[in-house]
Amino acid sequence: MTHRTSATTLYRRKSYRRGSYRRERRVDRVYYLFLVPTLLVFTAFVVIPALIGIFYSLTDYVGFGEWSFLGLSNYAALFSDPRILEAYGFTLGFAVVTVVVAQVIALALAVALTRRIRFATTLRTVFVIPMVVSGIVVAYVFNFLFSNSLPAIATAVGFGPLEESILGNPDLAWLSIVIVSAWQTIPGALLVYTAGLTSIPTDLYEASALDGASPWRQFRSVTVPLIAGFILINTILGVKGYLGVYDVIVGLTGGGPGTATSSVAMTIFGGFTGGDYAYQMANATVFLVVTALISVAQIIATRGRAVRL
Amino acid sequence: MSRQVNQSRQVDRHRGGTLSRRSFLAGSAAMVALGAAGCAPAARAGGGVTLRFYEQKQEVLAYFDDLLRRFEKERGGVTVVHDSTVAIAPQFVRNEPADVGCFNDNLELARYIKRGVLGDLSDLPSAHTVRTDIGELTDQYATYPGRTSVLPYSLAAAGVIYNKKIFRDHDLPVPETWSQFVDVCEELSRAGVTPIYATDRDTWTLWQGLFDYSVGSLVAPGEFFRRLKELGTDVGPDSEVSFEKDFAVPMERAKTISSYFNPDHAVRAYADGNLAFGKGEAAMYLQGPWALGQIALVDPDLEIGTFPLPVSENPDDRQARVNIDLGLWIPTASPHQDEARELVEFLMRPDIINAYNSDNLAYSTLQDAPPQQDERLAGLQEYVDRAAFYQGAGTFVPTSIPLGNYLQAAIRSGNFEGMLRQLDADWRRLAGRGATV
Repeated sequence: MTHRTSATTLYRRKSYRRGSYRRERRVDRVYYLFLVPTLLVFTAFVVIPALIGIFYSLTDYVGFGEWSFLGLSNYAALFSDPRILEAYGFTLGFAVVTVVVAQVIALALAVALTRRIRFATTLRTVFVIPMVVSGIVVAYVFNFLFSNSLPAIATAVGFGPLEESILGNPDLAWLSIVIVSAWQTIPGALLVYTAGLTSIPTDLYEASALDGASPWRQFRSVTVPLIAGFILINTILGVKGYLGVYDVIVGLTGGGPGTATSSVAMTIFGGFTGGDYAYQMANATVFLVVTALISVAQIIATRGRAVRL
Repeated sequence: MSRQVNQSRQVDRHRGGTLSRRSFLAGSAAMVALGAAGCAPAARAGGGVTLRFYEQKQEVLAYFDDLLRRFEKERGGVTVVHDSTVAIAPQFVRNEPADVGCFNDNLELARYIKRGVLGDLSDLPSAHTVRTDIGELTDQYATYPGRTSVLPYSLAAAGVIYNKKIFRDHDLPVPETWSQFVDVCEELSRAGVTPIYATDRDTWTLWQGLFDYSVGSLVAPGEFFRRLKELGTDVGPDSEVSFEKDFAVPMERAKTISSYFNPDHAVRAYADGNLAFGKGEAAMYLQGPWALGQIALVDPDLEIGTFPLPVSENPDDRQARVNIDLGLWIPTASPHQDEARELVEFLMRPDIINAYNSDNLAYSTLQDAPPQQDERLAGLQEYVDRAAFYQGAGTFVPTSIPLGNYLQAAIRSGNFEGMLRQLDADWRRLAGRGATV
């Protein structure tokens, strides 16, 4: 209490002396102190290592011992390496497909669960379970399902296309990764959407119903605009997460068959054991830029239409 | 793993009483102290020298622990800490390598040899007791001028593991030529027996078995890769050596072999393979001695033999795939060179090295070493004796080229020629940015 009073007094006195509206809205400096620990940790464990990594991407460093400066040749080699370009193509395509699939299902589930249906609470709990299970565990369980159970069922019912495991098929293996990634990330998105939907005042629905709006029209004209901010944040977080896809692939296909499902994160990680440290650091730097650009583009594209976050 | 050992020691200390907070704290402090001793090479205990011994092969951790305790007792005044962390790179990155290393001799170790961070062991008495034809194997990956950087400690030999009972039941001989091998596979297929069990999902099993065995007896990998390295960016269809040209016949063999795989090979993993072979579900298995322990867990009485894969019509061409499973080295950065050398000499003592290898399904690297007595490996002994062996071609391919994944795709599509062209292209690209080993 004492602290708050003194802070308020200080605030009032300063604002009185300076007199402007802007100054009056000024926050107490003590709040900036709260940021210090996070900033320190972020700088020490994210910014500095990233800068060191970017520096080594300009060298031929292998992780230990001597190195020499190469300039941009790692980057030049990177852009002409078909395997790296293939990994980017796969990762971006995978992120787009998965984010659409996961958002549509999560939103549909959230709409259903916020209606007064039976067992809504129980169902919500059940739907959230995938979120608390580790990705690699989920991937191994699904690996078993895709390799053994699904082909066995398909054979029993005589459904040809699925008699061979999709994990062994270079044209279909990516589907398994979409399915498992979506299954795993839908709960998080679902929770965000549930929060968004419950924040919409019910009188808006009542008013639109009086005007004769169908449920679909209500969804398009009331629900979607009012949860646009939630859609935006789910999409950005989703794309960011899917771009870094690693553990699910390791558990399901190991990047195969062939290199059909090798993600960028997997190629980067391969560099640490393969003595390709500097080259993959260049890859990581490019990936950082690509990820940042995608996030910024998403924010700009949805600005104005979305509710401020 | 060393952490687990520490924990079990702590548990022992408190066995029989409830864990009080004080004893827990004391235990934690002891663990921290043990951990610290494991990290700092210069740590001293009770005035004596503390050595750090790096060895991380899971199956023999306890075996080496016993050896280290024996060394401590015999030597006196030296404590040896067993470092069994999985990755080798961090200790060199921190510039705190173990005083003595005992590690698989492969391309990864070659990086350290090449950069001269491993000291010369040629003046050790034991260095002259090693078979020269085995010592030369380590030079195939990398050398450092004027140094013997690694003393080979344990040689593992691999070939085709086969189920003797299935062979007997179908009255099949051990094949000595390529056409005999195909005949065996054909007869097994006709009898409804899976000829070969493959596990494509663990891609290392594909290059270790199918690729290495198909190549090794036709093209000498050490020589091939030496010339390939010299060519660098000039590797291509018209160069003196290339994957596309030299590996064409071996990959025809591989393609034929892969047609005898179990139907679900694409989605089976290494553990599935050991289980299936242990249960007698396939006649042959392209694996090394490391799989035998797992197979024995499934059926300890399974009659198993090993033969080198014949890939030509001349039985004399047959060779075994070998690798230096363990080699000893001392980093130049170790502050305890004398004690480290004493430990190496101790481990190289004929009674110790020969016992280790016969106990662990491997071959001693010493001249006049006794033969490996295990029935399951008997078929490879003569090849090891007369140095009719090669180090697998796949072990010369840097991990930045995903050979296992390429094989996975080639087996599916049947397009091994395309894979070989891809390997040439990848090799050129690696050489172009100076990223060999």
